[in-house]
Amino acid sequence: MCTTDLAQLAARDPEAATISLTINKTACRAFPNETILSCARRHDIYIPTLCEMDDIDHTPGACRICMVDIVQAGRDKHQIASACDTPVREGMNVATRTREVRDIQKLQVELLMADHLQDCATCVRHGDCELQDLAQFVGLTENRFFDRERTLAREVDTSSPALIRDMQRCVRCQRCVAVCRHHQQVDALAMEGTGLDRLVTLRHGTDQLNSTCVTCGQCVLVCPTGALGERDECERALDFICDPEITTVVQFAPAVRVAFGEEFGMPAGTNVQGHIITACKKIGVDIVLDTNFAADVVIMEEGTELLTRLKDRSRPTFTSCCPAWINFAEIHYPEILPLLSSTKSPQQVLSTIAKTYLPEIHGVKPENIRVISIMPCTAKKDEAVRPQLTMDGAPETDVVLTTREFARLLRREGIDLKDLEPSAFDDPYMSEFSGAGAIFGTTGGVMEAAVRTIYSVVNSKELDQIELEQLRGFEGVRAATVDLGGPFGEVKVAMVHGLGDTRALVEKVLAGETDFDFIEVMACPGGCVDGGGSLRSKKAYLPLAIARRDTIYNVDRKANVRQSHNNQQVKTLYRDFLEAPNSETAHTLLHTHYTDRRREMQQTVKDVWDDITMSSVVY
Amino acid sequence: MSKIAFGVWDGVVHDPQAEAEGAETRLSALTNFDEFDEGNGIRAFFGDRGFFVFDENVSLVDALYHYMNKAAEQSCGACTPCRMGTVLVRDALDKMRRGLDSPLDFDDIEMLGEQMRQTSLCGLGQTCAVALLDVIRNYRDKVETEIAHHRPIRAQHGMAYMTAPCIEACPSKINVPRYIDYIRDGRPERSLGVLLQKYPMAATCGRVCVRYCEMACRRKFVDEAVGIKTLKRFVADKQKGPQALKFTRDMIRKPLDDSMKIAVIGAGPAGVSCAYHLLLHGYQVDVFEKSDQAGGMAQIGIPSYRLPKDTLAMETDIIVELGGRFLFGQQLGRDFSIDELFTRGYKAVFLGLGCQEGTALGIEGESVARDGYFSGIEFLLKVHDHVDGIERLDMKGEVVVVGGGNVAMDCLRSAVRLGADNVHVIYRRTREDMPADEEEIVAAGAEDIHFHTLTNPTRLITENGKVTGVELVRMEQTEPDESGRRSVRPIPGSEFTLPCDTFIAAIGQQVEDGTLVEGDGIAFDKWRCVSADKGLATSRPGVFAGGDCVTGPSTLIYAMAAGLKAARNIDDWVQLGTQRFFKRSRMRDLISDNRFLASDVVEAPVRNAYRVHNPELDPELRKHMFGEVEQTICEKEAYAEAQRCMRCYRIYSVVTQHAIPEGAS
Repeated sequence: MCTTDLAQLAARDPEAATISLTINKTACRAFPNETILSCARRHDIYIPTLCEMDDIDHTPGACRICMVDIVQAGRDKHQIASACDTPVREGMNVATRTREVRDIQKLQVELLMADHLQDCATCVRHGDCELQDLAQFVGLTENRFFDRERTLAREVDTSSPALIRDMQRCVRCQRCVAVCRHHQQVDALAMEGTGLDRLVTLRHGTDQLNSTCVTCGQCVLVCPTGALGERDECERALDFICDPEITTVVQFAPAVRVAFGEEFGMPAGTNVQGHIITACKKIGVDIVLDTNFAADVVIMEEGTELLTRLKDRSRPTFTSCCPAWINFAEIHYPEILPLLSSTKSPQQVLSTIAKTYLPEIHGVKPENIRVISIMPCTAKKDEAVRPQLTMDGAPETDVVLTTREFARLLRREGIDLKDLEPSAFDDPYMSEFSGAGAIFGTTGGVMEAAVRTIYSVVNSKELDQIELEQLRGFEGVRAATVDLGGPFGEVKVAMVHGLGDTRALVEKVLAGETDFDFIEVMACPGGCVDGGGSLRSKKAYLPLAIARRDTIYNVDRKANVRQSHNNQQVKTLYRDFLEAPNSETAHTLLHTHYTDRRREMQQTVKDVWDDITMSSVVY
Repeated sequence: MSKIAFGVWDGVVHDPQAEAEGAETRLSALTNFDEFDEGNGIRAFFGDRGFFVFDENVSLVDALYHYMNKAAEQSCGACTPCRMGTVLVRDALDKMRRGLDSPLDFDDIEMLGEQMRQTSLCGLGQTCAVALLDVIRNYRDKVETEIAHHRPIRAQHGMAYMTAPCIEACPSKINVPRYIDYIRDGRPERSLGVLLQKYPMAATCGRVCVRYCEMACRRKFVDEAVGIKTLKRFVADKQKGPQALKFTRDMIRKPLDDSMKIAVIGAGPAGVSCAYHLLLHGYQVDVFEKSDQAGGMAQIGIPSYRLPKDTLAMETDIIVELGGRFLFGQQLGRDFSIDELFTRGYKAVFLGLGCQEGTALGIEGESVARDGYFSGIEFLLKVHDHVDGIERLDMKGEVVVVGGGNVAMDCLRSAVRLGADNVHVIYRRTREDMPADEEEIVAAGAEDIHFHTLTNPTRLITENGKVTGVELVRMEQTEPDESGRRSVRPIPGSEFTLPCDTFIAAIGQQVEDGTLVEGDGIAFDKWRCVSADKGLATSRPGVFAGGDCVTGPSTLIYAMAAGLKAARNIDDWVQLGTQRFFKRSRMRDLISDNRFLASDVVEAPVRNAYRVHNPELDPELRKHMFGEVEQTICEKEAYAEAQRCMRCYRIYSVVTQHAIPEGAS
C-alpha cells in the first residue's frame, strides 16, 4: 500500500512497451493504457503538473495544467488533452511546447491563482511551494482575475491542536483526500460544495477537532501548497526559551536526527544528532535530552507489561507509542482499546521524567520546567494536550514542534545546520540510548527492541542474533514467530504500518481470525521516518523513507549498547527512582488509559436534502 | 415551423439563403420548435453544439448570460477552467447586459471560452462555451452593437435546463452524474438523498432495475457503461445500523389538513412511489392492497435471490414512517368501489393495479391442463409462498418455461432452486432477441438451464389433466423486412416433443379481470389496460392511474416514475382543479424530438478502466438456496467505479416570447 508503483513500472519488461508514438518529435515507446505523462517522464520529457501525484497513483484530472497537443493517427485534427489521464495511442503525435500549449498552461495557472490567497510571504510553504514553482515554469506575468474578497471568505479551520486547514490556499488537487481515503483509509476527508465553493472538508462533523481525522498528517505531506499544515508553535517555544525564569528541556525523536539534514541541503538520511544538540544550545535551550532514552524506558515498561499479559493469556497486545494510532483506535475501533498497552509513548515518558526525576537531580523547581519536543509527527501535538497526560493540571509536554517547525525556528534564529559543529549530549541522566531505542523510528523497530529485552528477561541471557531480519521488511503487514523460550515458548508478533493495513488487521483481530501475541502499529507508512510532521518533499510521497531508515539501523549497529535494559542511565533511573518496571511508581507516572471517542453520524433524510446542491432537488 | 434567422450548429454557420432554396440543412430538420407552451413562441435556442435564433431582435448577450449562469450554477468546481471560467464569463456578461462596464471584453471572453472548451474535465465545461464562441466568432458585430450604448438590455423570458444522456434515459429522470459525484466526493448519504428525491425504493431499484441509464451511458464508447445500478445499490445498502438516514415528518413540504386525503390502490412500485410523493406534498394517504404485504410485483414477482424480502420491506415501510397507512386485504371490486372512496371523502384516487394475471399461450391442450400448468406469475407466487414458509413447493422432473423475458428467467432460476431435475426454456426467437436482462440470461445459463431458442410450443400433452409433455416446433428467421427486422416462422415438419412434468407459460400478464367494473367509469384501451392521458388522468375526473395497469407489464423504474408524475398531477388537480404545464418535461421533448443528445462519440482517448461487478455467490452453491446471489460492492470498488463517470452534462436554453408558466416542481 505504501510503496510506490515506480518500482513496478521500472520492472516492466521493455518488450511490453509495444506502442510507438512521438513526443515533441522524439520517438517513444509506451505500454498499453499508459498515460502520456508517464510515457513522457520515462523519456525524460518534462510536462508541468500540479494535482497529479504519481507515487500515490493520483490523477484526478482536476488542475488541467498538464495540457498537451495531440494528433491521433490518421487524423489531421489537433486536440488539446491532459497528459496525466489521456492514454497513449499507436501513431499519436504529442507536442508539449507549442505556443498554444504554453498559453493554455499559463492561463490555467492564472485561473488557479484567481482564488488562491497570494500572501506568499506569510505562508508556511513560501519558497517550497509547488504552485510557486508552477507559476515560474509557465512564466506567469499577469494576475488579472484574482479576487481577494472571495478568497478571504473561505474557511480556515484552526480547531485542531495539531493541524490547520487553510482553504484560502487550497488548489483542490484532492491529493489529501486520496491519501486519506485510499492509503491511510481513514477516509476522514470529503469534497464539499460546487463551483467556486468546492473545497475539501471533513466527512463527519463540522471541523477537524470533531471529525474522524486522526491527525496522522499524511495529508500535509502531499499538499502542494500551504493549505494544509501543522499548528505553528514556534512562537510559544521561543517564549519559553527566551524566558530566564524557565528551564527549557528539549527532547527529539529517534527519526528526527535522520530526516532533518535534508532541509539544510544535506543528503537524505544524514545523521544530524550532534548538529541538533548544538543548535538547541545555541538558541538558548537549557537542557537537551533524547527521546531515544525514553524509548528504552518504554521497552522496559511495555515489555514487562506484555509478559504479564502473556501470563494472563490476554492477547494480542497492541503497542501504544504512536499517537495517531491511539486516535485511530479511540475514534474508529474503541472496542480494541482493552488490548492496547497502557505504557505512555516515549515523548510522554520523557516529559514525565523530566518533570519528576530531573528536578530532584538538577535541583530545579518542577513548575519552572517546560518541555519542548521535536517530533516528525503532527499527532504528537494532539497527544500533548490529552487530558490523561497532565500533571497538576498542566500538560506533561508543553510544546510539540514538528520537524518542519523546528527548521523554521532555526532559520528565524539565523542558523544553518550545515555550518554547526556537532556536539554530544551533556546530560548524564536522560540522554543515553541503546540501539533498541534508536530503531523506534522505523516500522518494526519497537517490536525488535521489545523482543531483545523480553528475551533477556525470560531467559536471563541476551538473544544471540539481535538484528531480527524477519521484522525488517517494508510490506504493510509483517508477521514473525520468535522463540522466547522459558514458559512462553514461541510468540507470534506482527508489525503493521500505514493505517490502511492497520484497519484490515484490526478487523481481523476483532473477528478472531488472528493468533498474534504482540502487534506493533505505526500509523504512518514506513513509521516515524516518514511521519506526517517530517519535511515535505515536492511531487513525491515517501521517497526518502528508505535512506532515513538505513541510517537508523546504522545507529543501532554502531551503538555500544543495543538492548534497552542494558542502558546504564535506564538502570540508574530504575535504581534511584522508579524501583522496577511496572512498579507502583512506574505505573503512576508512565502508564495511561484510553477513552472511547467513537463518532457516530446520525442524520435524517431532511438533513441530507438540505445539504444537496444543484439540480434534481424536488423537495 | 418558425424560420431561422441565423445560427451555428456543429460549427456550420446557418445560411438562410440555402434554406430558402430548399437545401436540406441540419437546421431545417428541426421539429417541435414553433412554440414552447401554448401561444409562447421560441425566439432562440442555445445548446451544447451551437445555437439558432428565430427572432432577429433577441439579445444574444442576455441569452448567453442566462446560459452561462446555468453553467456557473451547475459547475461542480472540480477542474480549474470550468470552475473559474464560467463565473468570470457569467459576471462579465451580467455587467454587459446591465449596461455597465465589464472587466472583460469579448476578446477576453473568447479566450476564456476557448480555454473551457479545450481543457475542461467533463462534458459540462467542454460544451458550455460552444454557443458562446459561435456567437463571438460569427456574430461579433451583433453583440458589440448590443452593448455599444451602455444601456441595460431588456430582460428576456426563457429557461435553461441541464441534463445528460443517462438522465434523459431514466424514466424517473434521476440526476445520475450527480449521485455518482457524491460518491466520488465521499458523501454516499447525499448520493442516496439524490435518489430519494425521486423515489423511496433505492435499494430495490439498485438490485432489479433494467438500467435505461446504462444503455445511454457514453462511457461505453470507451470501454463499458458505468455501473450506475451497482453504485445505486452501494449507497442504498449503507442504510443500516445507527448511521442509516432517518425518515422524519419534517421532510414533508407543508402538512395539509386532515381532510386532504388520497386513496392509492395497490402497494406496488407505482402505488408506493405515488403515496411517498403525496405524503411529501402533505396529504393523508391510505394505500389499499389486496394482499397482506406491500411491494406488488416487486414482492411476489421478483424472487428473493434477486431481491431479499426484508430489503423491500424496509423501503415500503418508509410510507408508514411518513405517516401513510397500508390497508391490507382490501381489494378493489371486492371490498370497495371507487364510488365508495369518493363517498368516504378521498379527494382523489390513484390506481396502481398492476398486471397480475398471466396471459395464456392459446395452444391446444392448454385449457384442459389442471395439474402441472402455471402462468409465470402464478408460479412466482407459489415460489414466494415457499420462501416465506407459507407453503412448501418441491419440484422434480422436467420443467419447461416458455418466454424470454425477466419473468421467464425468474421462473427458470427458481425452478432450479426448488430441485427440478432439468429446466428448459422455450423461446421463439433467438437468444439475442430475448427481452430479459443480459445478466439474467447469463446467470441462468450458469445455473445449467437448457436453452431451446427458435422453438415454439404447439400443443400441450396431458393425461387426465396432468401435464406429461409438450409438442414443440422449430422456428426459422425470415429475411429482414424493410425496417431491417427479422420475423420468425415455423419450419413445417420439425415438430418434436419434450417430456414435461411442469409447464410454465411466462409470456406476459394483464390487468386482473373483475378489478374494475363498468360502474367505476374507468375506460380501458384496446389492450385491456387502463386508459390514461399523458398526465396519467383516467376517464373519470379525480382518478389517476400509472404503472403496469396503464402500460402493460413493464419495469419497476417506469412504475415508480409514473407514481411521481401522478402525485404531481393529483396535487395540481386537488389544489387547482387542473394540471399545470411542466416546463422541464417540455424541454425534454424538445431534446428528444430533435435528438440533440444523440450519441456523439468520445473524441479524445480515454484510459480504459473496466467496470466493477457485484460479487456473486458460486453457482453450485446458489442453485440450492434462495439467498441473494449478488452482493454489494465495497467502498474501494465504489470509489473506483464512480471515477469512471465522464459527467456528460449538457445545457440547453430557450428564449421565449412570454414568461414560461411555472408548473409543479
